[in-house]
Amino acid sequence: MKAWLRFLPSIINKSIISDTMKLYDIDFNILKANISPRGGKMLVDISGPQESESISFMEEKGIEVIPVLKVVKKDSEKCFECGACVSLCPVNAIAIMDDWDIDIDNQKCIGCGFCISSCPTRAISLME
Amino acid sequence: MKTIEEINQKIKEGEAVVVTAAEMTQIVQQKGSKTAAQEIDVVTTGTFGAMCSSGAFLNFGHSDPPVKMTKTYLNGVEAYSGLAAVDSYLGATQINQNPDIGLDYGGAHVIEDLIRGKEIELIAEAYGTDCYPLKKIKTHINLDNINQATMINPRNCYQNYAVAVNSTEETLYTYMGTLLPNYGNVTYSSAGELSPLLNDPYLQTLGVGSRIFLCGTEGYIIGEGTQHFTQADRHKGVPVTPSGTLMLKGDLKKMNPDYVRGGTMPRYGPTLYVGAGVPIPILNEEIALRTAISDEDIKCRIFDYGVPRRSRPVVKETNYKELKSGKIEINGMEVPTSPLSSYKRAVLVAEELKKWIEKGDFFLSSPVKMLPTQGQIVKPLNISKPSKMVRDIESKPVIITHLTDPVKEVALKLVENNINHLPVVDSNGRLAGIVTSWDIADAVARGKTKLEEVMTRKVIIAREDESVDIIARRIDKHNISGLPIVDKDSKVKGMITAEDISRLIGKNN
Ligand code: SF4
Ligand code: SF4
Repeated sequence: MKAWLRFLPSIINKSIISDTMKLYDIDFNILKANISPRGGKMLVDISGPQESESISFMEEKGIEVIPVLKVVKKDSEKCFECGACVSLCPVNAIAIMDDWDIDIDNQKCIGCGFCISSCPTRAISLME
Repeated sequence: MKTIEEINQKIKEGEAVVVTAAEMTQIVQQKGSKTAAQEIDVVTTGTFGAMCSSGAFLNFGHSDPPVKMTKTYLNGVEAYSGLAAVDSYLGATQINQNPDIGLDYGGAHVIEDLIRGKEIELIAEAYGTDCYPLKKIKTHINLDNINQATMINPRNCYQNYAVAVNSTEETLYTYMGTLLPNYGNVTYSSAGELSPLLNDPYLQTLGVGSRIFLCGTEGYIIGEGTQHFTQADRHKGVPVTPSGTLMLKGDLKKMNPDYVRGGTMPRYGPTLYVGAGVPIPILNEEIALRTAISDEDIKCRIFDYGVPRRSRPVVKETNYKELKSGKIEINGMEVPTSPLSSYKRAVLVAEELKKWIEKGDFFLSSPVKMLPTQGQIVKPLNISKPSKMVRDIESKPVIITHLTDPVKEVALKLVENNINHLPVVDSNGRLAGIVTSWDIADAVARGKTKLEEVMTRKVIIAREDESVDIIARRIDKHNISGLPIVDKDSKVKGMITAEDISRLIGKNN
């Protein structure tokens, strides 16, 4: 699953994440990270059989885990299905469907933002 | 053999058989062109692409006291007013006067907002005359209360178009969209088998006065478009490079916002997405066969937009079936493709036009004059003083430094020569990096002593055979003050700075 992890500066230095990976043998992919003196925020993709246990562990250690269902959202009023965004997605998350609709697969999306800046009508935005 | 009059009679009686160009391709494949020509009366086409050469004539009506507008601004976008007192032409690509808005809201956006019925702020300036005393106007207009609003697009519906790719190492922002470096993506803009002029490649059925679908209402072809070109290479009758174009007219007041859209090509500028559809009367078997063209049979060429010249090199030839598959092979790599024009809406245009004709709401018109089909070329613009090349610059004797030089020595070189950047070369004299006085200051502050650790490896360079104007754009784009000139073996030949350029370009003018 994809989730935002929020943590206070006090735990940035602790090895909670590497502990989690070791203890629960999960795949842990950092898609985005934003760390400031006031704390940090990371968009991650976690997967493995012990996924939910690993999340409980991180929560216990003081990390706030906010599951993400949508990384980006496309405004269907603004999008006119031009397809300019399709070839810019580095993970092939944007596809042209059989009826020529443009579909973004939020499972694949890593929130890089290329599609956002390339859209002529600014139809795509990042979900925070 | 049928005539347009006979087809119109059928439309009147509700008996005309109308299909879209995509449907026609199937029908001819199944039944053959002879049967198709007998059974089908009209084929509808459609496109919904970025058409920069678009705009609208606006007549604002007269105020009391009256004004002769010399400058007009609509929501901050200037419309050309060098016409009679209250006439102006709003071009789609005009950018906003407000630098903070700039490319994000331009002429195309104003046109869309007008069609959506929104209120638009109008500011007009004038010098005042005896008959038109007013000097300034600030008011609001909308599509209902404006006297007239007529869309006139000097160049729409290109018959085929170039396909774009970028061979350079940097992302390019072009009218063909965002082009990723190293052949990272391919963009194309034609609707392929549904596109109007690809279905009548020899312009046998359309001409001045042909009634068409334009942005959700009826419009007219008023002539060949600008840059109309008739001499392109053809495959199965269809031009493989950009060729014929149309000049179109329609009443903005009757347009439907579903079929028009203002957009901005990122870092390029505003453009208008125009929904246009042309009905093709199936007068004979040859015309039937032409409308049956398939994506696979429409060839087109991929051009390298990394070369900012009038003639860009062709990377390879392809066809719309391949482009629409979503990926294409270039130099052994699989490259993703993007359409840029909305095929979904192109289909809607063709379907909508089909409905109108079936319901008897739209009749075909015979052209009063055919469009040129021969001898029409696009003449280039010759610049009276040709562009100066980098190699023509009297560059100062080149000062370089070697990879192995200690930071201290480099600092001395910078100071002694009163310069800010120094190219770094390897033992073969090839460019390895660049070092600036800032890098040196930073190195000293952090106690670094090896040049390799402080220099920048990714150097923006100027090649000897590039034009100085292109280098000027590069300096602007990267916000740098100078760049090394290298020859084809990566040997450093000199430095070119922003000052050199402004001196040169200044001299040229
Ligand atoms: S944000 Fe990046 S990964 Fe997500 S859909 Fe857009 S281009 Fe693809
Ligand atoms: S670039 Fe924008 S308008 Fe075009 S398909 Fe993507 S989201 Fe839609």
